Amino acid sequence: MARFVLRRLLQSGVVLLGVTLVVFLLLQLVPGDPVRVALGTRFDQETYEALRARAGLDQPLVAQYFDYLRRALTGDLGVSFRSGRPVTAIVLERLPATLSLAVTAVLFAMLIAFPLGILSAIRSGSLIDHAARVFSQFGVSVPDFWMGIMGILLFSGVLGWLPPSGYVSLTEDPGRWASHVALPAATVGLVTASILTRFIRSSMLEVLSEDYVRTAEAKGLRTRVLVLRHVLRNALIPVVTVVAVQLASLLGGVIVIEVLFAWPGIGRLTYEAVDARDYPVLQGAVLLVAALFLLVNLLVDILYARLDPRITVK
Amino acid sequence: MSSTRFRLAGAALALTLVAAAGCSAGEGVDVDGTDGAAAGGVLNAAIGGEPDQLDPHKTSAYYSFQVLENVYDTLVEPDANLEMKPALATEWTTSDDQLTWTFTLREGVKFSDGSPLTAEDVVYSYTRIIDEKLNNAYRFATVKSVTAPDPGTVVVTLNAPTPNLLANLGGFKGVAIVQKSNVESGEITTKPVGTGPFAIGSYASGDNIQLVRNENYWGEQPKLDGVRFTFVSDPTVALQNLRGGEVQWTDNLPPQQVPALLDGDDPTVQSVPSTDYWYLALNQARKPYDNVNVRRAIAFALDREAITKAAKFGLATVNQTAIPRDSAFYYEYAPYSHDPNQARQLLDQAGVSGLTMDLMVTSEYPETVTAAQVIASQLEGIGVTVKIRTLDFAQWLDEQGNGNFDSFMLGWLGNIDPDEFYYAQHHSGGTFNFHKYDNAAVDRLLDQARTETDQGARKQQYEQVAKQIVDDASYIYLYNPDVAQGWSRQVSGYEVRTDRAIRFRDVALAR
Repeated sequence: MARFVLRRLLQSGVVLLGVTLVVFLLLQLVPGDPVRVALGTRFDQETYEALRARAGLDQPLVAQYFDYLRRALTGDLGVSFRSGRPVTAIVLERLPATLSLAVTAVLFAMLIAFPLGILSAIRSGSLIDHAARVFSQFGVSVPDFWMGIMGILLFSGVLGWLPPSGYVSLTEDPGRWASHVALPAATVGLVTASILTRFIRSSMLEVLSEDYVRTAEAKGLRTRVLVLRHVLRNALIPVVTVVAVQLASLLGGVIVIEVLFAWPGIGRLTYEAVDARDYPVLQGAVLLVAALFLLVNLLVDILYARLDPRITVK
Repeated sequence: MSSTRFRLAGAALALTLVAAAGCSAGEGVDVDGTDGAAAGGVLNAAIGGEPDQLDPHKTSAYYSFQVLENVYDTLVEPDANLEMKPALATEWTTSDDQLTWTFTLREGVKFSDGSPLTAEDVVYSYTRIIDEKLNNAYRFATVKSVTAPDPGTVVVTLNAPTPNLLANLGGFKGVAIVQKSNVESGEITTKPVGTGPFAIGSYASGDNIQLVRNENYWGEQPKLDGVRFTFVSDPTVALQNLRGGEVQWTDNLPPQQVPALLDGDDPTVQSVPSTDYWYLALNQARKPYDNVNVRRAIAFALDREAITKAAKFGLATVNQTAIPRDSAFYYEYAPYSHDPNQARQLLDQAGVSGLTMDLMVTSEYPETVTAAQVIASQLEGIGVTVKIRTLDFAQWLDEQGNGNFDSFMLGWLGNIDPDEFYYAQHHSGGTFNFHKYDNAAVDRLLDQARTETDQGARKQQYEQVAKQIVDDASYIYLYNPDVAQGWSRQVSGYEVRTDRAIRFRDVALAR
């Protein structure tokens, strides 16, 4: 187990190194000059040259990359081009908001998807099955920003239950945190729930058609026990993978939703960094997201072994 | 809004999540986010985005200046009519040759940390901008030296007479007086120290900046305890925040709703003409736009009223020169009536037919995207096919810098003195003359007006410049937009300013 984790961590290091190189190269291909954006319309050649030199952008590309790498190894991801602040601090302070939104959204999605997916699988072809399929079709096809705006208009405008935007940290005030996270998490969660419902349904259906299920049924096992203990557990492996992928991608930031709800997470940071061509921040954000993705996947692999004794990690 | 209801709804959700996340529950805090002090209260203001940084000399973002307007002072500052009035300097004298300006500093001014402001701070601030070639260095182009003969006096020595020196030194907070130790510690980017009515209290990246009253402020103490700026980029959401009482002030209103909001009284929405202008520029380094008749044809083909209606929902005043009606430099001149026939004739004269024109606009300013569609349909009427290119601003600026365009639409914001925008945009050596306009007569007039100390003569020179630029269709000016801002009934003492400066020092909040 320990060796497995160690090996995976080493592999992750190599992947992250690759990520830095790819992101660095891609950024060179993106049209748009960060120095000109920073100056805005009040352009002046001398000011331009001075700012370019201060940002180190006048250095050769190879030097820029290795300089970045050398500092990154010590945890220093450079300074933001826009604000002059350390990138490490900038991305880390966005982490709690993104974490709390992603985790809430996934929990919300699971709360909907598990009952709905299980029910529609065991009652395949029934009214509830059709309803579940309509729901998940709706969830994946309606744009999330539209759903977000409708949510704001209803829960904040008409009913006045929830604030339309903003963020309060969980440690500062859980009550206000919850009221602020509810709408964005529900908006994101609805999409995730739709995807998840489909997977749970099909995965359950597959297991339900196995011979041992028929045997168990013939033995007279209660449906409840059969479904929850024998079918669901075996159906979970692909579902866990999907949940993990969903969680990991939400950790990468739900850009549109974070922008809409003025949520100070990684997604909004990335969006603004792209807009301003703030390369150091963009690199830092992508690196963090990649690291989170790898971490979630590692945890999932460990979780597999716990779910299914036939799988071992070594 | 009923706070109990959403707290209850939220609490159930919170409980599960707190348990799941393994976090301990914190203290309950008042839902309004204000503490219960009996004083002036904290005004919640929603602005459209986050300041990139708070160093006034290095940022160029309007979001930064919305905050910094309340934190910093300049030697002089524009009043409601944009005339320069005393601020940190109480008076100033000019030598006979107009080359030496002596400013007397206000006595007893302190920075928000309690340290005194001296003439050395002014010298440091200006020298920093000039020596490090920071964003506003161009405003000091004629400045030879800045010295402090004594702690209460600043002397600015010039290479050439500079009639608009006051506008250059006080037009906006980009030339604010900063504190040396604050710069050297690097804290100026997140926790700037100024002499203004408020000081930075806290800054939560991505979410809000909180200002607190500056107890050391030299002027009348602000009535508010503080101002909390939150960053809400979606105007629908910002308006919802204002209606729901989450914020008490915003300038991020959905333009299509502003006309209706102006009629209501809760929230109060006011709109005043701004000093900004929006224009179309044709690339004179490219054929056939080097031909003045082609440019004039396009100017005649445009129906500015229709463009304004579409782009600004009518919240703008059409204008064929840059300068808005309220400015002292306003010059009434509008030769281009909407006249497609004349436009076609001019194109014939130029021998141009079947023209396809590239029009570059940017999603950074959505009004250019909307206006471009109207412009395209109007030019179709004279046989010009417009290909609209919508780019993000970084790319847009790149293309502009490389001269890679037939035409573009953009605005020029916060204008006070004509030198600032005419020179940069229409002098053949101007820093923003990307459309390559070159008229020796205009160059000469711009150079003259720049140093002309007789106000009457200077105004006349700029009138000649304005006329020539319009006749040459160097820029095809379209409109001066209004600036619309809204606030709740609790707010009193706020005034919308034509230069978009957001000043909360006289604002009170009823509770």
